[in-house]
Amino acid sequence: MNLKPLVAVLAATTLALAGCSVDRSGQQADKPTIRIGYQSFPSGDLIVKNNRWLEDALPSYNIKWTKFDSGADVNTAFIAKELDFGALGSSPVARGLSAPLNIPYKVAFVLDVAGDNEALVARNGSGVDTIAQLRGKRIATPFASTAHYSLLAALSANGLSANDVQLVDLQPQAILAAWERGDIDAAYTWLPTLDQLRKTGKDLITSRQLAKDGKPTLDLGAVRDEFADAHPDVVDAWRQQEARALTVIHDDPAAAAKAIAAEIGLSPDDVAGQLKQGVYLTPEQVASPEWLGSEGKPGNIAANLQNASKFLADQKQIPSAAPLTTFQDAIYTKGLPGVLNQ
Amino acid sequence: MSVFVDITPDESHVDSPAAAAPTGKWRGRLTRIALPLLSLLVFFGVWQLAAASGIWNQTFVPYPGTVWRAFLDISTTHDGVRGYAGYLLWEHLYMTLRRVLAGVVIGVVLGVLLGLVMGSVGWVRSVLEPWLTFLRALPPLAYFFLLVIWLGIDEAPKITLLALAALPPAAVATTAAVVAAPVGLQEAARALGASRAEVIRDVVVPSALPETFTGIRLAVGMAYSSVVAAELFNGIPGIGGLVKDASNYNNTPVVLVGIFAIGISGLVIDGLLRAIERRAVPWRGKI
Repeated sequence: MNLKPLVAVLAATTLALAGCSVDRSGQQADKPTIRIGYQSFPSGDLIVKNNRWLEDALPSYNIKWTKFDSGADVNTAFIAKELDFGALGSSPVARGLSAPLNIPYKVAFVLDVAGDNEALVARNGSGVDTIAQLRGKRIATPFASTAHYSLLAALSANGLSANDVQLVDLQPQAILAAWERGDIDAAYTWLPTLDQLRKTGKDLITSRQLAKDGKPTLDLGAVRDEFADAHPDVVDAWRQQEARALTVIHDDPAAAAKAIAAEIGLSPDDVAGQLKQGVYLTPEQVASPEWLGSEGKPGNIAANLQNASKFLADQKQIPSAAPLTTFQDAIYTKGLPGVLNQ
Repeated sequence: MSVFVDITPDESHVDSPAAAAPTGKWRGRLTRIALPLLSLLVFFGVWQLAAASGIWNQTFVPYPGTVWRAFLDISTTHDGVRGYAGYLLWEHLYMTLRRVLAGVVIGVVLGVLLGLVMGSVGWVRSVLEPWLTFLRALPPLAYFFLLVIWLGIDEAPKITLLALAALPPAAVATTAAVVAAPVGLQEAARALGASRAEVIRDVVVPSALPETFTGIRLAVGMAYSSVVAAELFNGIPGIGGLVKDASNYNNTPVVLVGIFAIGISGLVIDGLLRAIERRAVPWRGKI
């Protein structure tokens, strides 16, 4: 049997495939590249990306956007030094800043605060009307997420621990399936799954309430230390565009919804509904003592992150919580609040 | 197509066991025991050096000692915390092995039966072969979500997934083996007055059994490599669920403990299967 033609065809195919990968990122070799990791939760990040504001503000750089599915993956990319900016939840940030990860990055922006877009819902027919009645019931949530953190915070506020209930680790789409089959009694999850659960269930508590009780969960923008030291001007430009996106969410929610919808493949109406349920700070609030704070005076967000770090230590996912100063040092306040309004 | 020419005489036929030189025996034993040990030592040495070199972050390459401590932590109750996520390592492993066993038994029994029928009846083979190839080409992750919708979040979808992973290799190997059963032997049995059923029982099945065993080993391997996918949802307790949960927290030492547990138990299971194979089909390679 003659193998030569076969080998030749294989080699030719391999070469041809290697030569024509599908890439529409429009990178140019002669410019330095800024690498940004984003996630598909509705936030100003997606508005900036969709409107190409960052590309316009920084014409002398390539901007490379990479989509991530979880904060753990963003952390991994930061450790590998493959990202300059990244969007991730407060829980992964707390984990990243604590030992043993000690990721050298700083919190430079608050993308959003979880409001009614994350909630604990009980299924009709489960006989649960209050959180205290959840004892012994089956509750689903995606483990290691902000919802997981909020769920345990809500339980402990009502005198329950993780051992008093049956926790089930499910991703949102699987929560919906298990819910419809009656396999679970309650779930802590986020939109859009949450709205589908609400049709046959009722809210026990939302993250908006938990935030008022001092246990907020946030989505944050982080920047790699080395990069921030080398290119403070880029960090300023990035923060200004993120602030501009927050302003759009407040002043022109329809335009914001349209841009976000184009990025995540939902209808603008659905996105507008989701934006209403989340909490989007104004640029002034972001730079207020309650959140990032101002230059030299890191805000209350450091305390929130330390709480999340304590939570992880209780979960035995990190050996011990990092001290408050670690988190204060990891807030990027340079030029705040003035820099946001330029 | 190819011709093997044995240039060196086969020593095992020349020397009777009693006459074997003791040095040769020792050398054999040394190769079998010392070399794997040596490779293990070299592996841990390189690992330790790689971790100590500091080129990579601890999250990527933790020290062997860190992984060992994680192993001890998961295996014991310490500071009032039981193992990982409330279960000890052996409990995670036990649950996973139970699922694999159930899935493999279902998958292999169905697969071997299917293979027997497909190998013996031509039109059945034509009907089923495309379906089997279709199923074989699917990564379990692709359809696991459907299993969750149809079967819920408890044991049923996990065992089904493992059974679906184990079925095709067993079926394909059995089919091939049955088809390849020596026609001469079959016709000889026929000529001696055996019925079709007797030919299958006494000629086809024994000659197909060695190949089938290979298929079963492959099936177990396939099922085992689908463990993390099967335990993606509600996988705790379970070693796959442990690996997935720990990786969500960037907890590399625990992930490595889980990987070692899966790999080592896989080695042990394959060793057992090989021992069973030697006992069950001593005629492998002799017909």
